[in-house]
Amino acid sequence: MAAAMKRRRERDPGLGPEPEPEPEPKPEQGCLRAWAAQSRALVGRWTAARCGGETRRACRQLRDELRELLRRIRGLPAALPALPLELTVLYNSLLFTVGASDSAIKGEAEGIRQGLLRVLEACGACGQDLGTEELWEKVLQEVTVEELQAPLHRLGALQAAWWLAASQLGSVAGLFQLLSTAEDLGRAHCNAGQNKLLSLIKAWRVPPEGASLPLVQSAKDLKEILCTAAAFLQGLQELEAGNFPTALSLLQEAAGGFCSKNILAQIHTCLGCCAQRMGKPQTALQHLKRALQVDFQCLPALSHVAAVYHDLGETNAELQALTLLYEALGKSPPAAASSSPCFLVRAELLVHTPVLISLLRRHHPSEVKYLLAQRCLQDGRVADAVEHYLDFLSLLQEGLQQQVPLDGSSALPRIPEVFLEAASALEQAGRHQDAITVCEEVISRTTDLIPRVLRVEERLESSLPGAELAGGLLSQKKESLCCLAWRAAGYLHQGWAWAKLGESKEAVTQFSRCISDVLRVQLHGSGIKQTENLQPEVEVLQKIRLLSLIGRGTQFLELGRNKEALLDFQHSLQISPGDPAAASYLVQALWELNRKQEAAAQWQKFSQSCPAEDGQQQGQGRPLPLYLVSCQEQAMFPHSEALARSIQDYLGTAAQDMPS
Amino acid sequence: MAQVGHRVDYLAGFCCPVGGLVAGKPRVLCHENEIYLSNGTEFVYVYDQEGKVLKAVFRCPDQVWHVELLPQPRQLYILCAHSGIYCVSLEQQSRLMEQTDGDGQESNGPSGVFPVEADDEGKWWMRLHELPRPEQDGPPYRQVSQVEFCPGSPPGDSAGDAPPSCFLPVLCCAAAPGTQGLWCSGGFVLEEPLFSLLFGIDVAMLESPMILCGFPDGQLCSVPLKALSSSPAADGCRDVSTPAPPVKILHHLEEPIVFIGALRTERRAHDDDDNDDDTDTEQPAGEPGCDCVVAVGHYGKMVAVKADQREEATVPELREYYLRGPILCAACGSGSRMYYSTHSDISAVDLDWAGDSSDPEDTESGAGVLPPVLSPASLSICSVVALSLSSRASEGESELLALSAKGRLVSCGLCSPEEPDVELTPAEIGRRIKELLSGIGDTSERVSFLKKAVDQRNRALASLNQVMNVSAALLSSQEGHKPIACTVTANWSCLLLQDTVTISCLLENCSEYSLEEGWTLCVQLLASPCALEEESMDSATTFTFPIDQLLPGNKRELTLPLGPAADTKLDLPLTISCALYYSLRDILGSGSDSSEDLDDFLPEDSPLLSPDREGICLPLSQCTIDMLQCLRFGSSPPGPSAPPAPSDPVETFLKVSGEQTEPEEGKAPAEENLPPSAASIRVSSELLKSALKTSETDVPLCCATLRWLLAENPGAEVLSSTEAASVCGTAPDGAHVQLLVREVAMNDLSPAGPIQAVEILMESPSLAHMCRTHHAVIRRIQALVLEQAAQGSGPPDLRMQYLRQIQANHEMLLKEARTLRDQPPPGGEGAEGSATATEKLLNIYRQLRNPSLVLL
Repeated sequence: MAAAMKRRRERDPGLGPEPEPEPEPKPEQGCLRAWAAQSRALVGRWTAARCGGETRRACRQLRDELRELLRRIRGLPAALPALPLELTVLYNSLLFTVGASDSAIKGEAEGIRQGLLRVLEACGACGQDLGTEELWEKVLQEVTVEELQAPLHRLGALQAAWWLAASQLGSVAGLFQLLSTAEDLGRAHCNAGQNKLLSLIKAWRVPPEGASLPLVQSAKDLKEILCTAAAFLQGLQELEAGNFPTALSLLQEAAGGFCSKNILAQIHTCLGCCAQRMGKPQTALQHLKRALQVDFQCLPALSHVAAVYHDLGETNAELQALTLLYEALGKSPPAAASSSPCFLVRAELLVHTPVLISLLRRHHPSEVKYLLAQRCLQDGRVADAVEHYLDFLSLLQEGLQQQVPLDGSSALPRIPEVFLEAASALEQAGRHQDAITVCEEVISRTTDLIPRVLRVEERLESSLPGAELAGGLLSQKKESLCCLAWRAAGYLHQGWAWAKLGESKEAVTQFSRCISDVLRVQLHGSGIKQTENLQPEVEVLQKIRLLSLIGRGTQFLELGRNKEALLDFQHSLQISPGDPAAASYLVQALWELNRKQEAAAQWQKFSQSCPAEDGQQQGQGRPLPLYLVSCQEQAMFPHSEALARSIQDYLGTAAQDMPS
Repeated sequence: MAQVGHRVDYLAGFCCPVGGLVAGKPRVLCHENEIYLSNGTEFVYVYDQEGKVLKAVFRCPDQVWHVELLPQPRQLYILCAHSGIYCVSLEQQSRLMEQTDGDGQESNGPSGVFPVEADDEGKWWMRLHELPRPEQDGPPYRQVSQVEFCPGSPPGDSAGDAPPSCFLPVLCCAAAPGTQGLWCSGGFVLEEPLFSLLFGIDVAMLESPMILCGFPDGQLCSVPLKALSSSPAADGCRDVSTPAPPVKILHHLEEPIVFIGALRTERRAHDDDDNDDDTDTEQPAGEPGCDCVVAVGHYGKMVAVKADQREEATVPELREYYLRGPILCAACGSGSRMYYSTHSDISAVDLDWAGDSSDPEDTESGAGVLPPVLSPASLSICSVVALSLSSRASEGESELLALSAKGRLVSCGLCSPEEPDVELTPAEIGRRIKELLSGIGDTSERVSFLKKAVDQRNRALASLNQVMNVSAALLSSQEGHKPIACTVTANWSCLLLQDTVTISCLLENCSEYSLEEGWTLCVQLLASPCALEEESMDSATTFTFPIDQLLPGNKRELTLPLGPAADTKLDLPLTISCALYYSLRDILGSGSDSSEDLDDFLPEDSPLLSPDREGICLPLSQCTIDMLQCLRFGSSPPGPSAPPAPSDPVETFLKVSGEQTEPEEGKAPAEENLPPSAASIRVSSELLKSALKTSETDVPLCCATLRWLLAENPGAEVLSSTEAASVCGTAPDGAHVQLLVREVAMNDLSPAGPIQAVEILMESPSLAHMCRTHHAVIRRIQALVLEQAAQGSGPPDLRMQYLRQIQANHEMLLKEARTLRDQPPPGGEGAEGSATATEKLLNIYRQLRNPSLVLL
């Protein structure tokens, strides 16, 4: 700034502004030359500065100085000889504005409108009331001065950049239509299959750059960037709209264009997502791998890879990808490294839609760790699952640097569920005491939030008239219901853990608590037990009740209290008729009570009604929450073969006993 | 209700911008003994409360909006307008301030971690930054995540045109239960179940600290610190009206929020005999957390949230109260009271409400855990803009630090509320009232005593002041006209049917100070030793006249009779000196009885001090009264020789026979037989003329001379009208004195011719009077001659021989007189011998008295 001031002081004696009111005053050749020299000097400084460090600061300085210069130029009334310089200075200053902030372009390009007005003023027209698009139209149509064409075109390209950033694609198309001559347009129309906007942009001829008015970034680069950005943007739009093939082609077009590493990786990631949504996982994987090859820092691609593997069911590969992702997240700080300063306007700055943001969302390390744990548990790799879950729990205790996203788009479920899953993993790994401890945490936290009695609608009511008003109340109830479910699940797990540890009495206590918890919920409904259209939480609660009854029953059997066991099994069958485990246990209980006839009858009834029973759960309804899966497995009847044999034997003997 | 007796101490005054301090920006923090204070200017002050001294002042590049303190390590985070957050490490006593953020941001954030920035469209952003560890060198402050708020515009603001609201968002940190030690000031630990009820179970299980934000539009939001990031929804469009997912709106106060805090309303019963060492107790052995969250709006609305643990369920109870606004600031202590400040007062509200536990079935009355109505108790401290509760006071007692709108820091000690269990019996109450009343009495007595002392000192100071003024005025004008002058004249007046000579002193105050009470005019009459008596010493009589008040320009006349008694033994000439005296002892009054205090007042060798060092003595004037002034002229001078008309024959006989009481030496036994004694003195006419400045035509020289001689005799006014060259007056004791002035010519002295001289002849039957008159005349002529000699005029030629002859004669006479005097009278001769000796002596003296010398 000081240099500019010095120069200004030196020049002051020589300056003689002429405040002539003529429409076309002729400014002194002196100041025009001086300004041109200054503009050249500034651009020269940029050329030197961009090789060194601290480019952003250099951009800011140069932007301020150019703005100062522009202000001075605009001090005089608009004059045709000065306009090319003015427009070039404006162009350069806008480029520096972009470079200085290094974030996405927002808002309107300041100064372009005024520049256009000045052009009109110099040509004797007026355009005060026009909108920016109309202004461009007027300017490009009316102004035919040869020297102004090049600067105007360049400025138009910049304007197009701003419009692209604002997703005003129509305006961009219109502008390029104006910028191109008829023959170019004719050539453009030949390629019918191509996207109109892209063809327009491609058809635009870049004005030559003069040596007298150096540019910070050439218009040719700008055109390429615009092409890439336009293709990318449109591809994203199509992707959002669901037109995957179009999106694919557009994105490929963009990938073929002029772009940096970052944007290329992003484009490939989007291609991968697109392919995945189209149902072509291998293609998706290819694109994603390419993205990672281009730029390994594009970690969202890695998470997408994991997702694709998940869809494919390749757990190993998925786990590998997630592990890699976790390590990569742990290593590098999330702050993006400064990109190369060669180009001030880059495609990344132009394309910044929410779609892209959501596609390129970086996962937090906590999320990735959770995903690892979850997948391991789902896959049955208990040891790994335990390790990961414990890592995750310790991650939670770390300081604030480890953010744990709790919003809707996070991969994490509710925290109590995570705890329950961890408990379930620990149980499966045989660490029952630890599982009990973890469940205790959940139980203690939820205790205060559960009312004594909870009145709940059994099934989901669609569009309840007063739903919005009672929204708060409903969500409160839902929350209480969830807490109840979690606590019940906690007791359930504890019960099974104690059972495994051999402490039957303790197990019975816990199961009883679980059952009493579930009974707190008073359901209002039609009374007819239907398995569909229930609220998800209510379903879960039902399941928990079932499992706890079965669990308690088994413990009663262990303790020899067969009558109570029988009651429990009967209850459980009432809740979920046809449940194989409950039925088997009921038979077992009857058998133990020596009511063999009834047992046999039940057995027969059961085996008839459900022929396809092989331990598979009924696939109706929603899938069981992950933390209940282990309980379900534990509740399965272990000795079905033996029981079947004994029943068969009995039936055989009974049949023999009943001859005549 | 607990009494709030408090003691307010003024600690320090700080500079205050014009217009007073604005609420919201000034802040007072205290940690242990140090108070950190910002008053909305560029300065941050660190004040030591123990030593009551200002320890440090930090100057920031721009206006300070917020200050926060991080206890470990001791760091001060200062948010400046437009320049970001600065961190000052207090450990090393360094002077450097590191800048943490370069962007212009508005916020108030605990431990410099959460700047809240205003966006253009009226959105607020909160960013979480990571603080560097001490050993880390690299880029200091890394942004960890950010979240966006979308509050509406403040109520009452018209869209767009209104100036930006002066209210900034208020942030407060609620730590999860079980947190050991807060890492920032202004935060609190919130207990279960309120924490889970307010913020959700996920956050509770994460044990994430929550940030409570109060916005200018009245929204009270909460954000979990561990789950701060907000990501856009997958479908790309987000409903702008609802906040981003981690942000939860707790309440909408509908007026700008000025304070968020928490109170501990339920006191835990400390069971001393139930010390369990088991680690099952969740509550750490520190202070219990808070169980009630309060938020206060600017216009007086206050909301309190507390967990109500009923049998069916635990629900949060939310209650709104209406306090008198506008509320400038508030502070929560460790108890259940919140202090808030309006323009006129600080009030305290207590949220501890035992509830109506006597009637558990009565649910209709709405018995919750929060009091239905708040009754603020006033502390009577007005216009406080920032409040803080001091943490250094001991258990049960707290101290309120307040910064007033004029920039003054005061600390107010608050009494602990009484134990509610203590029941006061009427006797107790009576006793307490008595105690209080006696305390009041004592205090008022002390107050009056102190007041009196102060008044006395004030008066003493005033008196001293005027004394010093007068002294300065007098002493500084040594030459020339004195501002306070005392003129002495001799008069004849009739006193007790007798005529006596009186002295009148005229005290005139020409200065600009008035002589107040305490001044005394001392007139000292000093009689020179009388040669006519054998044993006579200097005798001085001092008369004192207290002066009540002599205003500037006023005069006071005082008269005193000459002579100690009514009889006419008057030793003229008298020297009269007047002085002003001020007794310093009176100044000090009853407070000091020792003279040491006086020593402190004035230095040792002060010329002002009177010899007994108890007062100030300022000499005014000194003059001599001699015979010429005491002569009385008149037609019929009634002398004491005039006997009273009816005379007792017995008395007359006694008088005649007992006449000779004290035959004076040198006086003839029978006065009437001796010829009157005479003395003469000759002064040259030239001398007199030039001295008296008269011309022949005006007044004859003899008259002029006579007038001049009797100038100071008020009775001689008569003479001025007549042209008399001789006068006959009466001495104070009745003897006649005659003065005669005539012109003579001395022929033999000068060869040039006869010298014109004036001869002044004094005659009196009494030798004493004649001597006195002679002395008086000589004194005057001496003064005249000296005056004229200074002007310098050469004496004419004299015949030296003649002079020598005369001188020789005189010397002979003197020798004779001396021998006669020294010779003891022959013892045998007795009275006759002595009589001849005395007669010879008298002759000699007579000759001496009439020299033929002339004063030229």
